[in-house]
Amino acid sequence: MNVGTDQRTTHSPISSQFQSRKRLSERIGYACLYVILGALAFLQLYPLVWLFFFSLKDNQEVFNQSPFSLPLDPKWENYARVWTEGNIALYFFNSVWITVISVMLTVFLASTVTFAITRMRWKWSRFVLGLFMVGLMIPVHSTLIPLFSFYLKIGLIDHPLSVILTYTAFNLPLTIMILLGFYATLPREVEEAAVMDGCSVHRIFFQVTLPMSLPVISTTVIINMIYNWNEFVFINTFISSDRYKTLTLGIQNFVGQYMTEWGAIGATLMISIIPILIAFLLLSDRIVEGITAGSVKG
Amino acid sequence: MEKVMSNKFIIALYILPALLLVLTLIYVPIALTGYYGLMEWDGIGDMSFVGLENYMALLQDKNFWNSASHSFLLALFSTLSLAGYLVIALILASKIKGAHFLRKIYLIPMLLSSVAIAQLWLKIYHPSNGVVNSLLSSIGIQNPPAWLAEPQLVLYAIFVPILWQYAGFYILIYYAALKNIPSSFIEAAKIDGANPLQIAYKIKLPLISGVIKVTIVLAIVGSLKYFDLIYVMTGGGPNGASEVMASYMYQKAFGSYEFGYGSAVGFYLLLICLFVTWLIRKLTVTREDVQY
Amino acid sequence: MGITGCSGADQTGTEGTSEEIKTITFMHLWPAGSSRQHHMIVSDIIEEYEEAHPDVRIETEVLGNEQYKEKLKVLSASNELPDIGMTWAAGFMDPYVKGNMFAPLDDVLDSGLADSFIAGTTEAYAVDQVTYGLPLELNIAPIYYNQEIFNTYELEVPTTYEAFKTVVRTLADHGVTPITLGNRDRWTGSMWYMYLADRFGGPETITNAINRTGSFEDPALIQAAEEIQALVDMDAFVRGFNGLSNDEAKAPFMNGQAGMYLMGTWELPNYTTNEDVPQDFKDAIDFFKFPTVQDGEGDINSFVGGPGVGLFVAEESEVKDEAKAFVEYFVQRWGERSVTDAGVIPATIVDTETVDLPQLYIDVLDELGSASHITLYADVQMSASVAQEHLNLIQSLFGQEITPEEFAQQHEQALEDENE
Repeated sequence: MNVGTDQRTTHSPISSQFQSRKRLSERIGYACLYVILGALAFLQLYPLVWLFFFSLKDNQEVFNQSPFSLPLDPKWENYARVWTEGNIALYFFNSVWITVISVMLTVFLASTVTFAITRMRWKWSRFVLGLFMVGLMIPVHSTLIPLFSFYLKIGLIDHPLSVILTYTAFNLPLTIMILLGFYATLPREVEEAAVMDGCSVHRIFFQVTLPMSLPVISTTVIINMIYNWNEFVFINTFISSDRYKTLTLGIQNFVGQYMTEWGAIGATLMISIIPILIAFLLLSDRIVEGITAGSVKG
Repeated sequence: MEKVMSNKFIIALYILPALLLVLTLIYVPIALTGYYGLMEWDGIGDMSFVGLENYMALLQDKNFWNSASHSFLLALFSTLSLAGYLVIALILASKIKGAHFLRKIYLIPMLLSSVAIAQLWLKIYHPSNGVVNSLLSSIGIQNPPAWLAEPQLVLYAIFVPILWQYAGFYILIYYAALKNIPSSFIEAAKIDGANPLQIAYKIKLPLISGVIKVTIVLAIVGSLKYFDLIYVMTGGGPNGASEVMASYMYQKAFGSYEFGYGSAVGFYLLLICLFVTWLIRKLTVTREDVQY
Repeated sequence: MGITGCSGADQTGTEGTSEEIKTITFMHLWPAGSSRQHHMIVSDIIEEYEEAHPDVRIETEVLGNEQYKEKLKVLSASNELPDIGMTWAAGFMDPYVKGNMFAPLDDVLDSGLADSFIAGTTEAYAVDQVTYGLPLELNIAPIYYNQEIFNTYELEVPTTYEAFKTVVRTLADHGVTPITLGNRDRWTGSMWYMYLADRFGGPETITNAINRTGSFEDPALIQAAEEIQALVDMDAFVRGFNGLSNDEAKAPFMNGQAGMYLMGTWELPNYTTNEDVPQDFKDAIDFFKFPTVQDGEGDINSFVGGPGVGLFVAEESEVKDEAKAFVEYFVQRWGERSVTDAGVIPATIVDTETVDLPQLYIDVLDELGSASHITLYADVQMSASVAQEHLNLIQSLFGQEITPEEFAQQHEQALEDENE
């Protein structure tokens, strides 16, 4: 007994001392961590602030003042100019619908492919996967001339479909790759149970696998969305009339033969980042929400 | 199970639309790139067949191998930096306060287009009023280097914004993968008395190893064909010191009117990517492997 | 055409009566945002023309500079050039001419238009005596300098290279950037080299080296390369010039922090009419001609410069005649309006008596009138692949990574490879 109480009495102060020391070191650790995380957050947020300042300057200020200075005399007229001169409203609208359609098409097709490759049994699956992966490896600029003459032959030059199809084809490999990594971690039990219940493959795909992979889908939607929204080379090559141009082409309006209007470009960039920022903030929550829904099932 | 899941018709239905798109829009250009590589063609008039001349000439082309080595260096750095992104993602995915908020902020730079990133970093590296050099001279360093003008430095200087540009992309993928781990696994480990480091190392990492392998491939292939910021910020210069394979291809095909030669560069780039991917697969293959 | 087909009425009767609208596509590189006045003149001319020719419609596509070049390349590879577009002279244009992409424009010139051009400008667009482009601009590159800075350090405008070096030394010693230069763009540094080549060896030396009647190993050209490195040693150029774009390098000059800036006369609006630039600064800017060297062959009235963009008509155009007619009209109207409305010096003759221009323009036009020689930019004279090599070598020369001898010898190598 004595020994026991002894042990307990001697034990507890040591352990509490140990624990408080641990708590202190833990606190210091956390403090350091937050300082680092905070500094990183500042670094990551700053570009947006910088871009905003940049969009309120004129060329003189852009080049002469320190890049981090506040605009001396904010040039709000940059925005007015961009909006009135540059057809921006139309470009904006085009950016939105071209991006939305391409993203939906890409993510849906990539999901069916990934499902067929990881969940279904067939001889050529690895080979077909390899075929998709090669698509990651070709530099964009060596495809320009072949693709242009291809679209010319089928009459899709200066037609938005050429851009949508190209975006889809070129983003499919990446999207499939990302989905693939995740599908491996999705539990198969639910699907197997569904098969036992006599569900058709379509039902399994649409009602079991697709909902389970929602967090991943949000991730790929975000990535595709950003890529398509900022894409420049294809749309510049395939589209020539104003009615199908997008925001990234609007920037060219301010690139001159011998000089460039950087302030106006900044304003265009700022206008173009706002919708993508909002979409991103909304979607990025889906990554977490999707999990909670998924974990209930799992 | 076997039977339902190997329905040929459904497999075809799920695969073919996507495959058809990729075959027509990516494979046809690939084939034509290889074909143009056999031609002497300025991209304008008639082409003339020269056989493997371009491909042979490339083997001896110092500039090409120089740019290839720069691309490989970038691939190396990109792969190494994945570890850092993984750590950040682990922290963000853990239950520390504010992680939710921090995550959103961390991913913001990936929304910026290359035009914006290039302008930002050109200003950071500006030799006289840039941020880096202002800092260096404020701590007393005389004559800080002109980052983008020094042949020995420019390559490393331009890697920084490239790696930074993609940080968000990988953090996002890792984060989503970590959030995808069923919480029951982690709870179980906690009950067994594992500390956060052990949980990360022994439970989380193995569970997302498939995703990690995918990101390694993406990082390497993406680096080998990287183009954007190099083209805008240095144009591959000074005198080729920051040239990479894709910018060299562009310079040849669109700058020097040697479209045949440029196509051969593009085709080599593809072959190199294929070889490296095959190598990664050989090196990382495990028994319970996720195929990629 | 499709509309008339719908009626199903007798096709034969429509010959003379139907108003067949011909559409001409026109691709240019003066967007409304960055080149407001240029863009406006173009739109005005099109409007006038369409009004006078109700059967013609002109559709424009406008791109930024780099994207224009890239797209032109892709279009020509598929033989889909616009009916009218813009081209640069000599080396840029050659492959298009050899590929039969551009229509000869001699018939347009022979109808009397030839006399409106300044002598020598259309020649840069000619291959084997046939002209394929009509120039819209003509620029020379003087050295702009800031008179306030010169006054502060009691400097005189140098007419000899020795005096010029004294100016450089004085400014450098006082911590003022003597010359700003954005050599990431490379053609900027090439102009310095070309001037020195001209002053040492005379106006034909570099042209001869390029067309292979001469050599880059000519002592005058090696000396020019040596002088470049001597200037770099003197800290003549702004810090980090090899990593700065021309846009970035312009800033210290516009800000009164750099003494001199060698650039084409397209910069003139910034020193005269541009309302965004402070008047004090504009008043302080003047230009001088590149000084002569002792015992050199070149004279002070020889300039580096030449026509910039010109118009081409596509050989495959289905409306070639209409396009040619429009181009003829365009060149004339552009010549009348460009200098007063947009500050662009056209390649057509400007009557300085009748137009009201800032003094700096009058001075430049006078210099143009009395120029003994205008040497076309080296990279424009060269074929595209040699030009790339030349531009890279310029960067290395300025960066002191190669010796003047290597610089010469590698040029020779590149030109030899080309002729194989």
